[in-house]
Amino acid sequence: MTTRHRLGFAEMLETCRPAPPDKPNILKTLLAVQSSLGYVPTSDLPQIAQVLGVTVAQVAGVLSYYSDLRTQLPGRHLIRVCMGESCTANQGARVFRAIQDHVCVAVGDRVDAERFTVEQMSCAGNCAVSPTVIVDDEVHGRVEPSQVAALLERYK
Amino acid sequence: MVRLYLANDTSSRAAGAGRLADAWCERAEIQLIRTSSRGAFFLEPMVERDTPNGREAWFNVAPDDLPRIVAGVGGTPVAEIPFVQQQTRFTFANFGITEPLAIDEYQTGGGLKGLAAAQGLSPEAIVGELRLSRLRGRGGAAFPVWKKWQVAQQTGSEHKYVVANADEGDAGTYCDRMIMEGDPFRLIEGMMICAKAIGATRGYIYCRYEYPAAAQTMRFAIQKAREADLLDCDDSPFDLEVVVGAGSYVCGEETALLESLEGRRGVVLAKPPYPAESGLYGRPTIVSNVLTFATIPNILAQGGAWHASLGTEGSCGTMALQLGGRVKQPGLVEVPFGLTLRDVLDRFGGGMAPGSRFKAVQVGGPLGSLFPESQLDIPICYDAFAKAGAILGHGGIVVYDDETNMVELARHFMAFTADESCGKCTPCRIGSVRGREILERIQRGQGTAEDLVLLSDLGETMKATSLCALGGRAPYPVLTAIEHFPNEFSSRRKV
Repeated sequence: MTTRHRLGFAEMLETCRPAPPDKPNILKTLLAVQSSLGYVPTSDLPQIAQVLGVTVAQVAGVLSYYSDLRTQLPGRHLIRVCMGESCTANQGARVFRAIQDHVCVAVGDRVDAERFTVEQMSCAGNCAVSPTVIVDDEVHGRVEPSQVAALLERYK
Repeated sequence: MVRLYLANDTSSRAAGAGRLADAWCERAEIQLIRTSSRGAFFLEPMVERDTPNGREAWFNVAPDDLPRIVAGVGGTPVAEIPFVQQQTRFTFANFGITEPLAIDEYQTGGGLKGLAAAQGLSPEAIVGELRLSRLRGRGGAAFPVWKKWQVAQQTGSEHKYVVANADEGDAGTYCDRMIMEGDPFRLIEGMMICAKAIGATRGYIYCRYEYPAAAQTMRFAIQKAREADLLDCDDSPFDLEVVVGAGSYVCGEETALLESLEGRRGVVLAKPPYPAESGLYGRPTIVSNVLTFATIPNILAQGGAWHASLGTEGSCGTMALQLGGRVKQPGLVEVPFGLTLRDVLDRFGGGMAPGSRFKAVQVGGPLGSLFPESQLDIPICYDAFAKAGAILGHGGIVVYDDETNMVELARHFMAFTADESCGKCTPCRIGSVRGREILERIQRGQGTAEDLVLLSDLGETMKATSLCALGGRAPYPVLTAIEHFPNEFSSRRKV
């Protein structure tokens, strides 16, 4: 993590400190941290717990519970392939394999000079134009395995 | 200048609407209005324009199609699109027509009439109207809405809450996303009516992490509603906020959702107490699905009796069915309850996608039962589905073709539950893992005849003893796969 990313982190965290009678909200805080840093570094858990007035175990418990909270910095582009039922029926697994082949990685690993992280996701709610691939925040529908290379070319 | 309409909903953009908007952004001869989608996603990206006889549409448009659209050549009147024209649109009446964030258009289309009607009624009378409407919750449990509201209304508390469950996690469903992205004021209006009925001071929209566009549209809509002084309940301000989840399927269960809203692990709690008595921060809370709230404005505007006159005896009103999978025409279908599953697949789905043959259809998300061809004549209503041991759930309908491997699909379902189980109750936490292991064994060709017996026994135990519907319903898709396609399972058995 570069210092550039960490600038303002303490100030951001301070905005999550609960003002009585409000109660601390661990999930909201972790989402704010992730939105600021791109992930939640486990080394920051004591500081987060201290600001919220809860135990480190409570924070770690919430962090490990939610699949969209990540403890590793993803690549520059996060590719999520939908594994919902409509995408499954439309052979989304073949699209997933094509993407894996293209970026030559195992699920969840950082690869290709930190360019891509590939993950499977549960239903993206894009079922009517499945199979679905989401790159960063851009949703792509009706993706064919043969289109994968051209699609990913746009993300440098 | 020609005014063209193009949907800005996530699925329309995923189908290429964004590409059209980018390609045409500097064309002086057109004015592009970004609307919600009609839900006929197989036609998206679809471009419409006004004619003296109503809108005309061009389907599956590419950037090069602009000249003929501007010339008005080759369009189809929207009123002649069977998929749209055969529907009974009430909750989704505005879709494809209005701009999502234009309050004036919402009002012109009949919006805010329900809230105005509610403001002239006592809280008891609002609940009475809902009782008359016989509306049941659309999230999956199908609980009578008025009963929940009455409990919350009668429970004394300084603070009460209204929570929209926008954690639309059921695979194959997307109508909540469409409502939030396409007609956000309808959700706000429904929540305001509820706030008025129970005396709530705060509302939350718990939106899943996977729906960033829906969350953003709702935030803008709340801001606009506030500026228009719409967010007042009995002359005191009603605070409404969007809260985003972080990818947990079980957070669609109301007690888990409230735990998550308070920032904790989204673990299911034993009921009672029900949230209507003791919910968020221990106060009376109504948690209802987005579609349920969005159905309510029309009920107040047109009367409970009007709603009760639609649909069937036990399932009143319309249902938003969401077609997906290997169907030729995937999209949103709003129809009164009572059509058969076959009707819906034939008339709206248009049969199978080219080159594929029907194998099974799953209704009600990843916990829904599978139906083979011989069982498609079941009427779409809560009672018929309950009688068949199935669920209508949130209205997701996914069609599988004959390329589908049922053992792999059954394993996929059980693995989903094992991944998503919150861990609170043993039958779900352990049962789903053991179930997945058995199915993996069968998949590897190492299963025995006893494995299928064991799986069935495990399934019955999970059904009977799980704390919530995740564990309780998880066996259904697996057991119906075995029931209807036994050969696929027995042929992989170890000799």
